[in-house]
Amino acid sequence: MSLLELQALLPQIILALGATAILMLGAWYPSRKWILAGVGIALVAALCAGFVSPAVAEVAGLYSTGRYACFFVIVWSLLGAFSLLLSLRYAEIHDLPGSEYSSLVLFAACGMGLLSAATSLIGLFLGLEAFTLVFYVLIAFKREDPRGAEAGLKYLVMGAVATGFLAFGISLIYAASGSFHLPEAFVGLQQTAGGMRTIGLVGWALILVAIGFKVSLAPFHLWTPDVYQGAPAPVTALLATGSKGAVFAALVPLFTALGPLKADLEVILWVLAALSMLVGTLAALPQRNLKRMLAYSSVVHMGYLLTGLLVGGRVGNRALLFYLLAYSIATLGAFGVLSSFSRVDDEPQEYTDFRGLGYLHPRRSSVLAACLLSLAGIPPLVGFFAKFGIFSAALKGGYPGLALIGILTALASLYYYLSPIVVLFMQQRDARQLRRGGRHEYIVLACCFAAILLLGIYPAPLLDLLGSLLP
Amino acid sequence: MTFVSLTELPILSLILWLPLAGTLLCLLFRHSNFACRWLALLTTGAVLVLAICLFVGLPTAPGWLIREDYAWIPTFGIRYSLALDGISLLLVSLTAVLQVAAVLISWKQKEHPALFYALVLLLETGIIGVFLATDLILFYLFWELMLIPMLFLIGVWGHGNRVYAALKFFFFTLAGSLCMLLAIITLYLIHGEQSGIYSFALESLMQTQLSPGIEMLLYGGFLLAFVVKVPLFPFHTWLPDAHTEAPAAGSVDLAGLLLKTGIYGLIRFAFPLFPHAAQQSLPLLAVLALIGIFYAAWIAYVQTDVKRVVAYSSVAHMGFVILGLAAWNQLAWEGALLLMVNHGVTTGGLFILIAMLQDRTGSRDLRALGGMWKTLPFFSAFFLLFCLASLGLPGLSNFAGEILVLLGAFGRWPVFAALAAAGVIFSAAYMLRVVQGVLWGPLGQLCKIGDKDCLHEDLDRREWLLLIPLALLVVWLGIYPTTILEPLRGPISLLLQGGGLP
Repeated sequence: MSLLELQALLPQIILALGATAILMLGAWYPSRKWILAGVGIALVAALCAGFVSPAVAEVAGLYSTGRYACFFVIVWSLLGAFSLLLSLRYAEIHDLPGSEYSSLVLFAACGMGLLSAATSLIGLFLGLEAFTLVFYVLIAFKREDPRGAEAGLKYLVMGAVATGFLAFGISLIYAASGSFHLPEAFVGLQQTAGGMRTIGLVGWALILVAIGFKVSLAPFHLWTPDVYQGAPAPVTALLATGSKGAVFAALVPLFTALGPLKADLEVILWVLAALSMLVGTLAALPQRNLKRMLAYSSVVHMGYLLTGLLVGGRVGNRALLFYLLAYSIATLGAFGVLSSFSRVDDEPQEYTDFRGLGYLHPRRSSVLAACLLSLAGIPPLVGFFAKFGIFSAALKGGYPGLALIGILTALASLYYYLSPIVVLFMQQRDARQLRRGGRHEYIVLACCFAAILLLGIYPAPLLDLLGSLLP
Repeated sequence: MTFVSLTELPILSLILWLPLAGTLLCLLFRHSNFACRWLALLTTGAVLVLAICLFVGLPTAPGWLIREDYAWIPTFGIRYSLALDGISLLLVSLTAVLQVAAVLISWKQKEHPALFYALVLLLETGIIGVFLATDLILFYLFWELMLIPMLFLIGVWGHGNRVYAALKFFFFTLAGSLCMLLAIITLYLIHGEQSGIYSFALESLMQTQLSPGIEMLLYGGFLLAFVVKVPLFPFHTWLPDAHTEAPAAGSVDLAGLLLKTGIYGLIRFAFPLFPHAAQQSLPLLAVLALIGIFYAAWIAYVQTDVKRVVAYSSVAHMGFVILGLAAWNQLAWEGALLLMVNHGVTTGGLFILIAMLQDRTGSRDLRALGGMWKTLPFFSAFFLLFCLASLGLPGLSNFAGEILVLLGAFGRWPVFAALAAAGVIFSAAYMLRVVQGVLWGPLGQLCKIGDKDCLHEDLDRREWLLLIPLALLVVWLGIYPTTILEPLRGPISLLLQGGGLP
C-alpha cells in the first residue's frame, strides 16, 4: 500500500486510529467524556471524506474512493456521531464505560464505510465482518441485563452462520470466475459455461443467504426482534440503520456490476422482497412493544429496499438510496426518542409505558410521531417521496406485483405505526414521573425532525445528489 | 382591491400558506390559551378576507382565473402548480367561512388548546391545497395532509368511542388514496412513455392515450379514493362514526369541507382524466347515489343521537350531489355544486347548533331532549331555520340545489329523478323528527320545570356572531342562488364540453 493509497483511505483510517487512541487513552483516564471525543473524530472523518479529494480511485483493488463511496463514508460517520450523542446520557445512567463504547462505535462506522466502498468480494467480507464483530460486543454491552446477553448470543450465532455462508459463497464464486474483483468476477462468471457457472450461481445464492441474515430479510429475520429488544436503544439505532444500510449501499454497485447475470437471480430476489414485505407486516401487526414493532417493520422496509435493488438501473438505485436515507433518518429518530425516554431503571418499550406521554413531553413525542408517520409514508414527510420513488420505480421496471404488495403493506403498516401514536396522544396519562432527556439527545432529535420535514417538502437537491453519485 | 393588484401578488400561495403560518405560531405560543385562539381567529379571518377579495374582485370567466407554477422536484417532473377557477374559488370561500365558524365554536377549548387550533389551521391548509392544486402529486400531498389533523381532532378531542372512529376514518380514506396513488403513478408512466415527458401536470396527463381496459382500471383507482371521501353508498360506513365522535369543529370541517373534496376530486380529476370510463360509470354512480339517498334516510329516521341523524343526512345529500353529477348536464351540475355549497353551510350550522346544545344540556339524545323552545327561544329559532333549510324548504338554501339537480336529472334519468324526488320527503321526515324531539314537546328528561339546571343561558354574543352570518347565508342562497351560480356556469360548461379543463 502506497502513501497515496493511505491518503485516499484517510477517512476510514481516521476512524480506526481514533477509535484505537480512545481505547488506549481510556484505559488510563476512564471518563464518559470520551464519547464526545468520539463524536469529534467521527465528524472529522466526515469532513475529511467530504473535502479531501482522494489521490487514487481504488485502494489495493479492494475499496473504491469514488464519490459514491465518499458519500456513504460521510453518512455512516455522521450516523456514528449521532448515535454517540444519543449514548452520552444513556451511558451515564446505565454506567457504561465511555471509552470502550466510543471506540467500538467508531470501529463500526469504519467498517460500514469500508463495506459501502468495497469493490471486491474480499473487501466486502472484511468490511462486513469489521462491524459485525463490533456489534457482537455492543449488543451485549449492558452485561448485567439478561436480555442483552440473550440478544448478543443470538446475534453472534446467527452472524457466525451468515459469515460461514458468505465465505463459502465468495470462495465458490472465486472458484468459478477466478477473481475477487467485482466487474471481473462477474465477467468471468458469464464467460464460463456449464458446471462452473452453476457453481458460481450457487455461490451467489449463498451470498444472498448471508445478506438476508445481515439485513434481516424474511425468512432470515428471526433474530431481529429479540436483538432489537435486548440491545441498548442507541445501539439498536445504529444496528437498525447503519448495519443494514451499509449492506445495501454495497449491494448497489455489486448488482450494477452483475449485468445480465441478474436475470438468474430475479426470481429469488422477487420472492425475498415479497416475503419480507408480507411476513414483516403480519408479524408487526400484533406487536405491543415499540422495539419489536420497529424490528418487524424494518423487515418490511428491507423488502421495499430489495424491490428498488431488483429494479436496478438509475431509477431503481436512486429510489433505493433515497429510501435508505429516509428510513435511516426516521429510524434513528425513533430510537433516539426511545433512548431519551430511558431512565436509570427502565427503558420504555411496551406501549403501555407511553400512555399519555404526548402531553408530558410534547416535543419528543411529536418527533417520535413524525418518525413513525414518515416510516409509514405519510406526506409531507420524507417517507412519502421515498415510497413514491420505490413504487414508481417498481411500476416502471415492470414489477407491478411488487408495487401492489408494497401499496397493500404500506396501508397495513399504518395500523402498527398509528398504534403507538394513539397511545401517546389519545390515552389518559397515568400519574408518573417525568422522563428527562439530555441536551445532546435533543440535538440529534432536532436534526432528525428537521431532516424528515425538510426533505419531505423539498427532496429535489438530495435526489439530484444521489442521481449524480450513481454511475 | 382591484383585480390587477390581486394577480400581482402570489395570492394563491398566500391564501394557502397563511393557515400553516398560523399553525406554527400557535405551536410557538402554546402556553397561552388566549394568544392561540386569537391567532387562530385572526388567521382564519385573514383567509376569509382574502377569499372575499378574490370572490368580489375576480371576473366571472370560464377558465383559470389565477395560476401559479414553479418547478419543485424536477427529478420526478413534479411541479408546484396552483390554479383557481370559479369552482375552486367557491370552495375556497366556503372553506374560509366554515373555518372561521370552526374556530369560533371551539372558543372555549380547554383541553390542549394550542394543539387544537394548530390542527384546525393545518387542516385548512390541506383543504385549500386540495382545491387549488393542479399537479397530481401536489394534490395527493394535500389530500393526505387533511388526514393527519383530522385523525388527531377526532382521536384526541372526540367523544365516546373516538379512537375507533378516528382510525376507521383514517383507514377508509387512506385505502382509497393509495389506490389513487397507484393509478396516478401508472398514468404518469404511461404518459411518460408516450410523450417522452414525465410530468404530473393535469393538463399534460389529460393528453394520454389509454386503452379502454387500462382507462377503466385507473379510473377505478381514482373513483375509489373520491367516493370513499364523498361518501357514496356503500363506502359511507366511516362517516356516521367520525361525524358523531368528532368535536364540534371537526364535525363542521368533516361535513362542510372534507366531503366536498371528494366531489371536487371527481369533477376536477377523475372525470376529465378518464372521460370514456367516466361516461360508462355514470349509471352505476346514479344507482348507488339513489340507494344512498333512501338508505341513509331510512337509517337516519331511527337514530336517537341528533348528530348521527345529521351525519346520515349528509350521506343522503351527497347522494343528491352524485346523482346530479351522473346526469352529466349543465343544469344538474350547477345544481350539484350549489347543493354542495348549501349543504356545507346548513350542515355546518347544524353541527354548530348541536355543539351548543350539548354544551348546555350535556346530551344529544332525542329521547332525553325536548321542549327547548320554552327554555332557549333564540337558539331554537336558529335550530329550526337550519333544520328547515336542510330538509329543503323552498326559499332556503338546499331547495335551489335540489330542484336543479332533479330538473337536470329528469333530462337523463327520468325514473331515477322521480324516485329521488321522493327522497326529499324522506329527508323531511327525519329532520322534522329531530325538530320535534329537540324543540317541541314536553321538557325532556334532562330538564324538569323548576329545575335549577334547566335555566340554560340562551345565545351569548359570540354565538350570535357565529350564527347570524350563517343564517343570512342560508337565506340568501335560498333566495338568490345566482350569486354563486354565476361564477360556476363557465367552468362547468368547460368541464362538460371538453370533458376537460378550463
